[in-house]
Amino acid sequence: MEIQEFKTMLFSEAQKSGFTDIEIYYEKKEVFGCQVYKGEIDQYEIAEDGGVSFRGMVNGKMGYAYSEKTDDTSIPFLLNNAKENATFMNDDSMEEIFAGSSQYEQRNFFCSSITDVSIPEKIQFIKDVERELFAQDPRIVATDYCSIRTESVTRNLANNKGLSLQDKINYLYVIVEAIAKDGEETKTSVEFEITKDFHQLNAKEIAKKAAEEAISQFGSRNIKSKDYSVLLRNDAAANLFATFSSNFSAENTQAGISSLNDKLGNQIASQKISIVDDPLLENGLASRTFDSEGVASKKLTLVQSGVLQSLLHNQKTAKKDQTETTGHAHKDSYKTAVKVGPSNLYIEPSTTSFEELLASMGEGILITNLSGLHSGANQISGDFSVAANGFFVKDGKISFPVNLMTIAGNFYQLLQNVEEIGSDLIFPLSPIGSPSVLIKSLSVTVE
Amino acid sequence: MFSQTVIEDVLGTALSTGGDFSEIFIEDRFTNNMTLQSGKIETCLSGRDFGIGIRVFKGLQSVYAYTTDFSKEGLIKAAKNAAQAIQGNTIIKLPPFVQESYGTNHPIQLMPQDVDKSRKVAIMKTAYDSAKDYHDSISQVTVRYMDEEQNVLIANSEGKYIEDKRVRSRLAIQAVAVRDNQMEAGSYGPGAHQGFEFFENLNTDHYAQEAARIAVTMLDASPCPSGKFPIIIDNEFGGVIFHEACGHGLEATSVAKNNSVFAGRIGEKVAPEIVTYIDDGTLPNEWGSLNIDDEGEKTRKNILIENGILKGYLIDKFNSRRMGMEATGSGRRQSFRFAPTSRMTNTYIAPGKSSPAEIIANTENGIYTKYMGGGQVNPATGDYNFAIMEAYEVKNGKLGRPLKGATLIGNGPKTLQLVDMVGNNLGHGTGMCGSLSGTIPVNVGQPMIRVSEITVGGTKGE
Repeated sequence: MEIQEFKTMLFSEAQKSGFTDIEIYYEKKEVFGCQVYKGEIDQYEIAEDGGVSFRGMVNGKMGYAYSEKTDDTSIPFLLNNAKENATFMNDDSMEEIFAGSSQYEQRNFFCSSITDVSIPEKIQFIKDVERELFAQDPRIVATDYCSIRTESVTRNLANNKGLSLQDKINYLYVIVEAIAKDGEETKTSVEFEITKDFHQLNAKEIAKKAAEEAISQFGSRNIKSKDYSVLLRNDAAANLFATFSSNFSAENTQAGISSLNDKLGNQIASQKISIVDDPLLENGLASRTFDSEGVASKKLTLVQSGVLQSLLHNQKTAKKDQTETTGHAHKDSYKTAVKVGPSNLYIEPSTTSFEELLASMGEGILITNLSGLHSGANQISGDFSVAANGFFVKDGKISFPVNLMTIAGNFYQLLQNVEEIGSDLIFPLSPIGSPSVLIKSLSVTVE
Repeated sequence: MFSQTVIEDVLGTALSTGGDFSEIFIEDRFTNNMTLQSGKIETCLSGRDFGIGIRVFKGLQSVYAYTTDFSKEGLIKAAKNAAQAIQGNTIIKLPPFVQESYGTNHPIQLMPQDVDKSRKVAIMKTAYDSAKDYHDSISQVTVRYMDEEQNVLIANSEGKYIEDKRVRSRLAIQAVAVRDNQMEAGSYGPGAHQGFEFFENLNTDHYAQEAARIAVTMLDASPCPSGKFPIIIDNEFGGVIFHEACGHGLEATSVAKNNSVFAGRIGEKVAPEIVTYIDDGTLPNEWGSLNIDDEGEKTRKNILIENGILKGYLIDKFNSRRMGMEATGSGRRQSFRFAPTSRMTNTYIAPGKSSPAEIIANTENGIYTKYMGGGQVNPATGDYNFAIMEAYEVKNGKLGRPLKGATLIGNGPKTLQLVDMVGNNLGHGTGMCGSLSGTIPVNVGQPMIRVSEITVGGTKGE
């Protein structure tokens, strides 16, 4: 059934069965992906998919249900389940269907040049990346994945209060893993490039970066486990920051599971730190003109020179805190409820280059990769202890790679201990970004 | 769901450009997810996931297409899209379907869709109250409830035609304890390949109180020291270390391309004799169990390491081609959105002879980890890391003060060699495992294990 027809039928049936306010949210996604191995296509993926989320008020309470099948049988499924689900909600849940903002930004996050490039052209490109990778160094012995992928997503939100919104976004990325062997030592690296302009990509550059990153780790040595000055390279810093980003959600402060509760107006970080969320960022992965409740998107400053200025709010959390929504209602997809979440969230860059940061550290550890963040970080307390790869830095220069390490500390203390911020803001295949961050001291344990 | 003729047309279309194997995976899944926080239901969601995946092989090339368009035209279009990427001459003729049925190893008594949601909410409230009332310092409890019924139909160009129903239930409890400015969390999340009877038979209070107890205990925990120590890892979810340290390295996904540290080593001694490592998808009603995998292969008990000797790998259909070895019923995927690849089901270390008391008494200066968090591994290097949720120091064979904030790091194959005691208290832990074909339910299990030395990254220097 066509989505418009489904929507009309669903709205009409919903009204008949007692729903007063009604919303439908649907997504449609198109995917192309290709992975090569030893010069041949190894995995190839092509897809069209999507689904529908229904949200409606019945007897003053909000009910939810979703379906990926849009046929006759799905309408009673959605309505019956939403109705039953609503009965378990509390009367004071404060969730409502939004009539609309006065104005929405007209932005285009969809770039037709991505879809204009032919599939054979994309496949040839990724084959070139693999070939160039092996040409870089005889120690590059394998790759587990070398792939190119494009995704385009259309989001629609419509309700019976007259709102009807659409956003369309697409992107292309290339990701390659390099596996390097030298004697008994094996090292790996992952390199990626994300763009809206295919023709700007350079296969050799990507391959070179991946190879250099893997090879640079050979000859790793042991150093004493103790507290060191630590320079978190932009990608590692962004991943660490993303792990703790949920603490900026008013939903979490209200539930008492974020330490930022009651910290508005307080100095929560070093003066060097400013944090913004910009849903209108031109090349952002999470760019949008409206949030999951239909509220118009705009840029928000969360932290200004270390002072907490705002939390992320949707309508419900804003009402509880007696403030305005910041337009950060968030659904992971049509499958989930309206929660609170960031769009393109990042630490603002300075004008200091990465090399200047290295030089100003003098002696310490450069961290280039963190792993185990999903398990080794306690989002509630802010404590973390995670595996890390990196280098010993002496006299402001990279000296040698260090054996597998862990770094441990507390996220809130780390924010206070930031000495300098770099100019090299990056979003590592994620909408949460950071420049490189120099930290006064962290506990480092070496294997 | 679809007539056999439509399915034949789809499989035929997928092979029309010279593919040598085609497969269709149809999924219709019903889910319920609820969250209870601050004593109130925060979210109550129901959904229907539906889609079709079509796969074509030609030699060592694999093409995957999926769609949520279930019209015949939509399916044929997806099959054509997939076929487009294949170039060949030989067109295979489809054999007639052989409808298979294996019955079930995992009987379901109460289908979740047939149970009134108020009964589900009641279970959550019991868990909430139990955790909240455990101690004054418990400030917040979040209870998550999940059930799902996944119906799949798998047919392929070899004549396979098989349907399966997977039903899973899980309850996850997280408790937060607060004192002064300190916040600590504890969690527990039991689950099974079972219907609503799972919750009815569950000792909900026990799991809720354990989550609360961990959070409260961690308020008094000291920062974990850094360095190398003998580590005692308790049973159940403790098995996550071997899931990371060697389970992933035994998956054909990395073995087939020779990118695993275990590749090409069958018959070699990779662990001490006391270690036997098994992946068994047939364990009745266990969380990671399946009647058939997502390629329609019957699941089985795969002995991976027997008395220290590497015996086998976990192999899916595609990688079995690259490896020239038979598939082991290990092809799994999160949903129709993912092509299957080799994955674990219920993986565990077989029980040994030592009693837990004996293992602790035999340890002079080490760390005992009662509950683990999750972990991660790089299969190419074998380097792993994983987090400790609750741990204690061990001094002169006795348990000492609680420790917090530590991660264990090391190299899988090396750690495996350092196992020096295996307990007799095998237990299975419930987990979710993320990899190439998405996030899937798995069990990690083991008896209590001692490893003579692992690097601990704590917050307190040596």
